[in-house]
Amino acid sequence: MPRFATDAWFQDLIAKINASSEYRDAAAAWEGDVAFLVEAEPDHGMPEDVWGVLDLWHGACRGGGAVDAETGRRAAYVIRAPYSRWKEVLLGDLDPTRAMMQGKLKVQGDLATIVRYVRAANELVHLTGEVDTQYPDEA
Amino acid sequence: MRAVVFDDIGRVSVTDVADPVIEGPGDAIVRVTLSAVCGSDLHFLHGKTPIDPGASIGHEAVGVVESTGSAAAGVARGDRVVVAFQIACGRCWFCRRGETQLCEDSGTLGAGAFGGSLPGAQAERLRVPNASVNLLRIPDDMDDEDAIFVGDIATSGYYAASLGEIGARDVVAVVGAGPVGFFCVQAARALGARRVFALDREPERLSLAARVGADPVNVAERHPVTVLAAATDGRGADVVIDAVGSVAAFDTAVAVVRRGGRVVILGVYASETVELQLGVYWARALDLRFAGITPVHAWWGPTMDAVAGGLIDPRPLVSHRLPLEDAARGYELFAARRATKVLLIP
Repeated sequence: MPRFATDAWFQDLIAKINASSEYRDAAAAWEGDVAFLVEAEPDHGMPEDVWGVLDLWHGACRGGGAVDAETGRRAAYVIRAPYSRWKEVLLGDLDPTRAMMQGKLKVQGDLATIVRYVRAANELVHLTGEVDTQYPDEA
Repeated sequence: MRAVVFDDIGRVSVTDVADPVIEGPGDAIVRVTLSAVCGSDLHFLHGKTPIDPGASIGHEAVGVVESTGSAAAGVARGDRVVVAFQIACGRCWFCRRGETQLCEDSGTLGAGAFGGSLPGAQAERLRVPNASVNLLRIPDDMDDEDAIFVGDIATSGYYAASLGEIGARDVVAVVGAGPVGFFCVQAARALGARRVFALDREPERLSLAARVGADPVNVAERHPVTVLAAATDGRGADVVIDAVGSVAAFDTAVAVVRRGGRVVILGVYASETVELQLGVYWARALDLRFAGITPVHAWWGPTMDAVAGGLIDPRPLVSHRLPLEDAARGYELFAARRATKVLLIP
């Protein structure tokens, strides 16, 4: 079982994205890579910031994985939050679109575009929840 | 007389300067009994704020009035006084509204041409213009060390907490547990905050904040968003005070405040820029309040009362008491963060 936000975890997620017809339909017109910044929480087993990128294009994920900060910052969209908040999202305890509007997930990039793809965002989150995940604070 | 002067970036010294004299009818000459090194003095030391070599510096002081001009009403020889770090006219439209920091003729002690070429307070004597406005009498039973910060950072803390309209059930976060944050914590407590979290990454500063009632959060070890969320059923702090003045501090302040909460921006900003998503701020109904320079004259009365009543205790902050002649060492200790606050005794 891959540890959350490692490259292996992102590869599992990418495979699930590309196997999802729901995501393909919802994100058919989406163009732009999305970076995820999981902010460090040393007391929750996440000692350093972790970056990941998904190259999302017309309903598919063309690649991505764990990346360094410099690569992550170049993405068209950057979404960041502390580890605990990402975990809430992945476990379905926090709606991602609402969290973005409330500033609980901080978005860099055109927020209006992301919000227009609410169904795609929700499907993406649904898929992350399907990845068998080892959470660092539960290891 | 002896005074601390700026020599060059990274260097101050104590030297002989001319004794101050009454220049205007509102002036008073104060014999300084105690002065202090402030964080903003370091801006000159580090070259962040320009100042000419030879200019006397310092703006936190207490002392005894030695002489006054003919129009220094309410100030008399022998009065023990604390000096306002910012010098206001007391007559203009802003001053009459209590917004003395916006004074049409504002100046700052010991800040060179940038502050109106007023003398520095780290000296044996100090000329204070408009003394009726810019001096506050110290209660007879209060020590100099308890009073000195009322002229600057203690009142800044009280002003920021008041600007945040802190109420009895509020959870407050103070970003930055340096000397200003130290007083923000105490002021928030004095105004009745239910809990006050102090956010910093320096254990010694956090320890000081804890001594005066804060819940310390070392942001190098714990994410402040998670800590504040856990303390507020996931909402975030009701009031946040940015007591630093950096993009990172602003970012943290906005991240830890709840929807509809208030953010008081007390830390000093200059040319920093941030990207704001106005829609998110709007949707969160964030209330950002830029404090600007503290209108010390409007707030030092209640601050002095809070100190006199024991609600604000400046003493734990003072780490070093040095002769004025050792000012250079005091600056060095303070700049290296080996001192939390340095007092200079003429």
